[in-house]
Amino acid sequence: MADSAAVTRVLFEDFTPSTVRLFYVIGYSAIAAFLYGVYVQVRKYRRGVPAGMPLNLLPRLESMLVSLLNHRMIRRRDHAAGEAHRLIFYGFVLLFLGTATITLDYDILGPLFGVHFWHGEFYLWFSLVLDIAGLMLAGGLLYMMYRRGWLKPPKLDYARPDRAPSDPDYDRSGYRREDWAFLWTLLTIAATGYVLEALRLVWLASRPEVWDTRWWSPVGAALAQAFRALGMSEAGAGEWRRNLWWFHGLLALLFIALIPYTKVKHIFTAAGSLMFRDPQAAQRLPREKPDAPRPGSQYITDFTWKQLLSLDACTKCGRCHEACPARAVGAPLSPRDVILSLREFANRTLASPALPAQAELDVHGKGPGQVAMETLWSCRTCMACVEVCPVAIEHVPIIVQLRRKLVEDGDMDPQLRKTLQTIHKTGNSFGESKRKRAAWTKTLGFPVKDARKEPVDVLWFVGDYASFDPRNQKVTAGFATLLRDAGVDFGILYDGESNAGNDVRRVGEEGLYEVLAEANIGALSGASFNSIVTTDPHSYNTIRNEYPDFGGSYRIEHYTTLLLELMQQGSLAVRHKLNLRVTFHDPCHLGRFNKGYEAPRDILKILGCELIEMGRCRSNSFCCGAGGGRIWIPDPVGADKPAQNRMREAAAIEGLQVFVVSCPKDLTMFEDALKTSGLEGRFVVRELIELVREAA
Amino acid sequence: MKILVAVKQVAALDEDFEIRADGKDVEAEFLLRDLNEWDDFSLEEAMRIKEAATSPVEVVVVCVGPESADESIRKCLAKGADRAVRVWDDAIEGSDPIAIAQLIAAVAKRERPDLLFAGVQSSDHSFASTGIAAAALLDWPHAAVLTQLTYTPGARTARFRRELEGGLLHEMEIDCPAVLTIQLGINTPRYASLRAIKQAAAKPIEVLTLADLSVPPGAVGEGGSLSRVRRMYVPERGRAQMIEGSVEEQALQLAAIIREATGGAA
Amino acid sequence: MSGVLIIAEQRRGELRPATLELVSAAQGARRAPGDTVAVALIAESPERLVPAVSVPGVDEIVTVQVAAREFDADTLETAVRALIEARKPSLVLVPHSIDAFGYAAALAARNRYGFATDVFRFEYADGALVATRGGYGQKVNIEVDFPGKDVVLLAVRGNVYKPPEGTAAPSVTSFTAPDVSSRVRSLEFIEPAAADDVDMTAAEFILAIGRGIGEEGNVQQFRELADAVGATLGCSRPIADAGWLPKSRQIGQSGKTATACKLYVAMGISGAIQHLAGMKHVSTIVAVNADANASIFGIARYGIVADIFELGDALKEQFQS
Repeated sequence: MADSAAVTRVLFEDFTPSTVRLFYVIGYSAIAAFLYGVYVQVRKYRRGVPAGMPLNLLPRLESMLVSLLNHRMIRRRDHAAGEAHRLIFYGFVLLFLGTATITLDYDILGPLFGVHFWHGEFYLWFSLVLDIAGLMLAGGLLYMMYRRGWLKPPKLDYARPDRAPSDPDYDRSGYRREDWAFLWTLLTIAATGYVLEALRLVWLASRPEVWDTRWWSPVGAALAQAFRALGMSEAGAGEWRRNLWWFHGLLALLFIALIPYTKVKHIFTAAGSLMFRDPQAAQRLPREKPDAPRPGSQYITDFTWKQLLSLDACTKCGRCHEACPARAVGAPLSPRDVILSLREFANRTLASPALPAQAELDVHGKGPGQVAMETLWSCRTCMACVEVCPVAIEHVPIIVQLRRKLVEDGDMDPQLRKTLQTIHKTGNSFGESKRKRAAWTKTLGFPVKDARKEPVDVLWFVGDYASFDPRNQKVTAGFATLLRDAGVDFGILYDGESNAGNDVRRVGEEGLYEVLAEANIGALSGASFNSIVTTDPHSYNTIRNEYPDFGGSYRIEHYTTLLLELMQQGSLAVRHKLNLRVTFHDPCHLGRFNKGYEAPRDILKILGCELIEMGRCRSNSFCCGAGGGRIWIPDPVGADKPAQNRMREAAAIEGLQVFVVSCPKDLTMFEDALKTSGLEGRFVVRELIELVREAA
Repeated sequence: MKILVAVKQVAALDEDFEIRADGKDVEAEFLLRDLNEWDDFSLEEAMRIKEAATSPVEVVVVCVGPESADESIRKCLAKGADRAVRVWDDAIEGSDPIAIAQLIAAVAKRERPDLLFAGVQSSDHSFASTGIAAAALLDWPHAAVLTQLTYTPGARTARFRRELEGGLLHEMEIDCPAVLTIQLGINTPRYASLRAIKQAAAKPIEVLTLADLSVPPGAVGEGGSLSRVRRMYVPERGRAQMIEGSVEEQALQLAAIIREATGGAA
Repeated sequence: MSGVLIIAEQRRGELRPATLELVSAAQGARRAPGDTVAVALIAESPERLVPAVSVPGVDEIVTVQVAAREFDADTLETAVRALIEARKPSLVLVPHSIDAFGYAAALAARNRYGFATDVFRFEYADGALVATRGGYGQKVNIEVDFPGKDVVLLAVRGNVYKPPEGTAAPSVTSFTAPDVSSRVRSLEFIEPAAADDVDMTAAEFILAIGRGIGEEGNVQQFRELADAVGATLGCSRPIADAGWLPKSRQIGQSGKTATACKLYVAMGISGAIQHLAGMKHVSTIVAVNADANASIFGIARYGIVADIFELGDALKEQFQS
């Protein structure tokens, strides 16, 4: 073996000093362009408002690195693409570390301290690892090209439902071109890297310290063998190398310089977005700042720097686009396109040295980059988009903040407007007198404690639909009977209870939400109880996650947890098993929002039901369409509805007998959809409580 | 230029209400209060004129009512009214619309608006009188049941359409200043967000007494009214014959009624 | 102070039928047996209206010729005031109509007459006039009287009293009212746009929908139901205001009156007084509403408390088999 110090690659071998200097000048220029680009982006983010969250940099950094390294989010619902991206990611990271290592040796430790380590054994292993990294990178890239060019998943044509073909920003071919350019550029850099490696080997074949160790760069060596076999001479290789070196170098430097101006920036922005994620996004919406000049977001500068950063993290993967129930039924909403519109808008308005006049910063409307009312009102706030996004973009809070402005201006469906006024007047969305809230208790035949007047163990927060809707009242009465049979000491707030406000908040009527929250917290603080149970997942979500911001922190569980407990303890008996073939629909606000997937399934098991899952279950459950205030907005005449879409999915289950729900709105929506989709008679919709009662 | 809008906080009956011991009204605890539906439209009409005008227009709301009426007045302020005046005195209790009109007219004399708007009627007792009675007391030109209004602030006349029975429209012209009563559907009232309502708490509500308006107590209350309530009672419920049973059974019976009435022509 | 004075209502040269209802109403409200019932015709050519009010129950017709051809509040207020001064009736009746909204309250306020509107019952009890009207959205009745008032002006609810039948020959006198310089001018009448050719006033069987149908998308279901059962589809005001059906289909005070209707099926209509004004008179009314307390059940012949969509579907099935 040759001398260790000699086993290395001489950088700039045979280049004149002026050539090397030229390279460095170009290199530094590239870096300068890169830094300038970063500066422009950072300046853009700083034009947003403060995010108002604790920075906690170290824990966030750690969590971000874990996400990046395990790539779990990218593999979800797109397994092959996720693995391919993993290859690209690790390949690129290794190659980057490799270049950094060389720089460390050549430009820093060498000149400053005379220390060189990039030689000998280290160099050989280094070469091997990087060759493999290059293969990983190239392999991943080739798969992505195959996916994009041959498999052609529909979401990758970026067709947007919120614009018409005549609109200027309808055409997405620019994005597709950029994506291909990115793939080809990286692939070319990798390919030319290997060729260069091979050319060097051929050129220096006469040196044993190079030629004898060539198989530590297996790809290069293989190519070198091929070149020699094709008759390439050492001199010829040297000539090729000199030219290709510049091509490869310039291309790579160009790539680096362009990072902040292109899709490539997602390397940083995605990491940033992940780092500053709100783990409770969508479950817990942000409060309005008391001194805010306007409610919600009207101008692009009303967004927080974190939101502006997230906009840049989007890589158009389309997972949110696929998951969205509104988009699935043809509504003019794609969460992806809301983000991309706002990003385009931000780039157009916030990227220049001077900030344009405020009037030009209004993001509402139908112009290029703006978001239309119809788009915003289509959202069901089901958080499927937030939940699946691999780069932690938080679409729902953005949409709600945009809605806050619409609400202030009264720009909403007349029916919605009327419902909000009704809720303000009567505390419920049905317009019924407060006194009638507990009218369902009269059908019971036993008294229900008034938690305002006497202490109880469990306070049952019933909710609007469960109290007033005739179909749901049967379920409510059923639950009361179960609690009584199980010997639970429970009570309700009677007319002290108002609409919990979850959907009012998601509509964007923050002022009314505050009124409702304060009223309910006031009623709760006057009562004495150990925990709260609720049959309404929407109420569950807001009381659990949002009421603490208003001074009301309670121990609260959804009824499924309580019932399971009672069944496991033996307080609730299952006298005969229900041998039914069922499927379970995870309610958005219980499942995806609060990870309550298991309790209902455990109950079904105890009941002896055969559970066949639908394809879109658990965190991928498909919203019934009622959320975000949509239950108060009429659907367009003749349009498909999310609930109908779901019914068709259920109907595909062979021999299905019962479609089980555990949310009052789901019960209403799906019983309706069962009829309107023409599937009545195929199976029935039942609340889980009704099944428990049947088995008792 | 100023538009004065008279509004009323009306009362609707809650479930299972009870008549008061003196038999003349419903027990207060069963009354649900809200802004009169017509007043949403008259306020909106005033706001439309204000927003379309090239010179400043002040929209002032006047309401005769006790402190509980402030909630409804705040809604008007939230929708953009500049100022509000509330008139109350215990002597006003028991006033009929004509007695109330005295107070509206007194405030109008004080404010000297170019137009006085009122709703055609109130949703509780539907007298349909207050606005026009105030016009007589002011001796102003007046018109009722407007479904369309064209007015330039400060102009000597206004053109309008009133909605007659059967949907017929009558286009007329009126000299100003005038009193106009506004009908439902003339415009689409704007939404007052809770935020706007909360912020409206900063706008002033001037409270006036009878003395402030130089109205003697005898001019209001029962003594100042043109009618007197003897009693209020719940009438015999109607004589509808209820068709019971399942939905299918009810439909069957209804179909029979239809066939009989149309001679089986269906 | 004696006698009843009825102020006739005319429009475009024709007497409005509500005037004749007042004649019937007046019969039971003579304070003393000899009191007369007079009808005042205040118009540009009042003599042309004389035959229309020559009905039994009218003792005297008074023609008042005025300059205004169409409704003018100032003209009416001046003329009626003069009539009252001259003839001193104890009771003056006007219909509770759109025209009356425009002047009756002003007349009463300026002259301090006793005054009540939307009255559906009135009589003298022990020499004092007692009138009954509705309150709190027609959920209660309010009885009022007019202590110390020599003249009482009442605006009487339409479609409560039936017009008298037959003809008579009351005496006709004329009266000169002071000149008026009016502050409002009549320009023109505009017929409501007829979006479709339907004539609700000629329909014998009407199926009407109200706020209970919820959303515009549900109108179609009821359109199909109306077709299936052979009814003409009508609606209450909120549906027409929202544009879900043309205004020509609106039944009610400012819509059409279901004059020829024999069977009226109201679905999802609560029974607001303005709607009732257009259909209350129909001989067979069936009300379908999910709210058992809806006031329409008070005037309906048959009532069904049910979900209107379920009932609608079941009813359609009855006519499709």
